[in-house]
Amino acid sequence: MLKDITLGQYFPGDSILHRLDPRMKIFLIVIYIVTIFVANNPVSFALVLASAFILVLLSRIPAKLIFGGLKAVFFIMLFTAVINIFWTSGEHLLVSFGIVKIYREGIEYAIFMVVRVISLIVGSSVLLTYTTSPIALTDGLERVLAPLKVLHIPVHEFSMMMTIALRFIPTLIEETDRIINAQKARGTDFSSGTLMQRAKALIPIMVPLFVSAFHRADELAVAMECRCYRGGEGRTRMTKLHLHARDFIVLAVLVLFLGVIISMNIWF
Amino acid sequence: MTDTSATPKIELRNVTYRYSIGTPFEKAALENVSLQFEEGIITGLMGHTGSGKSTIAQLLNGLLRPTEGQVLIDGRDIWDSPKDIGAVRFRVGLVFQYPEYQLFEETVARDIAYGPTNMGLSQEEIARRVAEAARFADVTPDLLEKSPFELSGGQKRRVAIAGVMAMDPEILVLDEPAAGLDPQGRKSILDGIRAYQREKKNTIIIISHSMEDMAVYADKLMVLDHGKLYRYGTSHDIFCHAEDLKRVGLSRPQITKFIMELQRAGIDVGGGIYTVDDAYREVLRVFEKSLGKGADRSC
Repeated sequence: MLKDITLGQYFPGDSILHRLDPRMKIFLIVIYIVTIFVANNPVSFALVLASAFILVLLSRIPAKLIFGGLKAVFFIMLFTAVINIFWTSGEHLLVSFGIVKIYREGIEYAIFMVVRVISLIVGSSVLLTYTTSPIALTDGLERVLAPLKVLHIPVHEFSMMMTIALRFIPTLIEETDRIINAQKARGTDFSSGTLMQRAKALIPIMVPLFVSAFHRADELAVAMECRCYRGGEGRTRMTKLHLHARDFIVLAVLVLFLGVIISMNIWF
Repeated sequence: MTDTSATPKIELRNVTYRYSIGTPFEKAALENVSLQFEEGIITGLMGHTGSGKSTIAQLLNGLLRPTEGQVLIDGRDIWDSPKDIGAVRFRVGLVFQYPEYQLFEETVARDIAYGPTNMGLSQEEIARRVAEAARFADVTPDLLEKSPFELSGGQKRRVAIAGVMAMDPEILVLDEPAAGLDPQGRKSILDGIRAYQREKKNTIIIISHSMEDMAVYADKLMVLDHGKLYRYGTSHDIFCHAEDLKRVGLSRPQITKFIMELQRAGIDVGGGIYTVDDAYREVLRVFEKSLGKGADRSC
């Protein structure tokens, strides 16, 4: 069922990662991504993978949940790995039949790419989406992007759009489940027939889904206007964000980690 | 508690259903429930919010598979061959709560025809069923060629119900078919369902928490409490025990309370009154004989 998708969900908790300032988390994630892409030898890849596991432990979110969420991107990983195995050339030829040549470098690369994708997804989801409530996340994003207001970019509006979009993902999933069930009860068959027939079976789902999504958007807009929402101009906040010592400590640790990875590139 | 003299048309046997198995959100919606629904009558399934009513509806037509236990139609387990569960869904029609959202076709007639078309019926048969279902659900012919999105809420509801009736199921399960409608809309829909049942003689299960509606329209009532069968019987059997009902978060129909108030005020009206029509006749009777004989139906 659609409900089983956990990637990108918020998982309430009280771990150190939950308590970090969302603005800081956005910075941290940028540093973390840079670190992942800077890594280019086995030892640093091992460290990167280990760091992803440490983040999972720190978040106190059931590891089963997080790694279960990876199932959704399994094919992307497989695809990346296969491409790398067959399309990388190097010096150490292992197997060759016809035009297919597999080099040791290809396999190494494939492993590196998979490690990269796993750390990227696990790290960023644990650091950001799993441990940050959507409201804190968009609040943080709005603050981080605030300087762009000088260029007349509607930062507040963008973050409000993001908040609303995130807020309605579960609602839409629930709605889709409801519609699927109602149409199944009327005999829709989603799992057999030609590709064309299966595509056609989606119409009874897409039409009601769009109708209700537009309807809901309209109602929401009216409800917001009724409460005098007029955009970001002069809007104050109920909770103000404060940076704490823990934010800087985590930042320092991560910068140190980036330093270690960079220096390893130089040594090896 | 269950009437065993009649053979059940559809039955839940020791059914347990758990949501989200293997996750921290695991929760049992039903725990070892056995229910038997008699053939050829309207059964009113009642219970307060969270008593598992909607889960039962989806178990009955195979949208949900019981974690443990069996769902039997005419004594046969519907999950004997899971591949053929699609056929079960044609035998057991299910109208969800607020079914308006399932409409999608260009015209009302084509939307009602969607279920029968999936059953692979001939064009003539589909046309016949659409006309018939539209008549029962009080969808007037002028609506048939309109877009379902132009209709009012009550009209959409009737079209959605017609869409399931057109499949002519042996068993029809309706989850709160009249919820959120005005009194006239409620009456029109429930009258249509009863007329449909009386003509087709099929088995109908209406899920509702309106005592008033169920006292009028259901032949037998089934009361659930926390996913367990609590009471089963005619409206007289059920509404006699006011304290019992209160305990499970339900109450007697308002008209029954009203009649009891009259009795308390010293007016000699009979007991055992559960519908407005009965009350009307009873009050009229008392008026006509200014010295009425008093209660002959005691509760």
